[in-house]
Amino acid sequence: MTHVVTADSLVKWYGPRLAVKDVSFTIEEGEVVGLLGPNGSGKSTILRILTGYLPPSSGSARIAGFDAMEESLAARASIGYLAEDAPIYSGMRVGEFLHFMAHIKGLSGPQANASVTMARKKLELESVDHMAIGKLSRGYRQRVAIAQALLGNPPLLILDEPTNALDAYQVIAVRELIRSLAGQRTVLLASHVLTEIEKIASRVMILVDGMLLTTDAKGNDTNQHRLRLRIAGAPDKITAQLRKVPGVSSVNLEQTSDAGPPAADGETPRAYIVPVQAENPRRIAEDLARVVIEGGFALSELAVLEPDLEQIFLALTQRATPVS
Amino acid sequence: MRTFVALLVKEEKAIFTTPIAYVVIAVFLLIMGYTFTLTLFMSHTASLVHVFFQIYVLFLLTVPIITMRLIAEERRLRTLEVLLTAPVSEVSVILSKYLASMSLITVMLLLSGVYAITLAIFGQPDWGPIFSGYLGLLLHASALVAVGLLASCLVSNQIVAAVMSLSLFLLLWIIDKLGYLLPDPFNALVVNMSFLVHFRTFATGSLFLSDAGFFISVALLGLFLSIRALGQR
Repeated sequence: MTHVVTADSLVKWYGPRLAVKDVSFTIEEGEVVGLLGPNGSGKSTILRILTGYLPPSSGSARIAGFDAMEESLAARASIGYLAEDAPIYSGMRVGEFLHFMAHIKGLSGPQANASVTMARKKLELESVDHMAIGKLSRGYRQRVAIAQALLGNPPLLILDEPTNALDAYQVIAVRELIRSLAGQRTVLLASHVLTEIEKIASRVMILVDGMLLTTDAKGNDTNQHRLRLRIAGAPDKITAQLRKVPGVSSVNLEQTSDAGPPAADGETPRAYIVPVQAENPRRIAEDLARVVIEGGFALSELAVLEPDLEQIFLALTQRATPVS
Repeated sequence: MRTFVALLVKEEKAIFTTPIAYVVIAVFLLIMGYTFTLTLFMSHTASLVHVFFQIYVLFLLTVPIITMRLIAEERRLRTLEVLLTAPVSEVSVILSKYLASMSLITVMLLLSGVYAITLAIFGQPDWGPIFSGYLGLLLHASALVAVGLLASCLVSNQIVAAVMSLSLFLLLWIIDKLGYLLPDPFNALVVNMSFLVHFRTFATGSLFLSDAGFFISVALLGLFLSIRALGQR
């Protein structure tokens, strides 16, 4: 696989404030990667460094093989960029702005027309084509800004908060649009909205206070998985039985509002969460099923839970927060 | 080249679709019409020397208004980020803004050409000083626009950019008076920094390469520093 984006030890100082702290990551061709972080965590700064708008204080970035600063024009030609808060020329009409952007991206007349028509159609902007951008709603402005990023079919899309200011239908449409690009184009999107990133990105990087805590929060980095088993029986005996399986170090009774107190007779099935660290959690699931049945308990459910991004985010950010 | 043409068209539209250009042109023509009529009826000579000096001063006052928004506004509205993350060089951005501003200056000078035509219809003007005067004004404006553009590159507040360039222009207008008070060799250096000293020869019909070189050097230095300033983000 080819690295479309390579960030190598990026550091950015704004005067005395360190905004980006030694950030390194790579993005491969066709990936849809999310950069998740709270407001002010340095997401936009990293995107601006990648697009060549800001020079890093140290470190380097390469886009499609070109150095983002030294070969900036070639690198920028490979990028479709949506800046944070969609800054666009409010005095221009929508069609005029899209044609202007197509031309400064080096597209000739017929190519520019075709590209503008495609982008206009994808973002449903036909009805506002002759309107001044300054008179559009915030949602339309965002769509115009996304449309300009698509012009010229750049191999890499860098989108800063792409679903900002969009209504629910538009959020779904933009989400679908970005998903549909997976495999054909590489997408790096930044957001502070965890659910948004979770739904769009195939890989999630978490940035807090300028530090990249993980380059793959959902899986490969930690191999952390969770299994859920619903078993009837005495909880202490079941826990002891489950702990017999190699790779199982802890067993937690699932705390849910409808769970109620443990049944005295031990006959009511209860859910147990088993965190495991393994490349293949299904192998451990088979072992767990076997020991439960061998122990004479009734197993009514066994599932490998999808990584919970919220849990991972909280765990990582708490770990990163210095204890006072 | 296609990119540059697109940038230039955008800048021309930005200048000529806003009221600022028309207000500047209207005020310019009003004051120039007054000056031309007054001097013509008082002196009864077919000369534009007074008009040229008047335009020289008006350029010092109006160029900051034309140039203040060029980069400062883009920086404040963050559209500079859109522009400079596209495959567009800083040189193209600066030159397109510079040429668009110069086109407004050229329009103002062309409109003032009506005074020369009036003189040609009703008298027999000496065309030499008229052509050199216009050349001097064009060179003078090219230096001013470059310096105004540099001020606009340095700050994100348009008013601050205008005040910066206006202050500098006024200083360079009268700096020769200070120069005459200084000892040798500082006097020559300071006197030669004055816009007026170099423009006076053009207005009175003399052409010196050194005077043209001064304005061209200031313009090139202003453009070079603007490009560097735009690259520093």
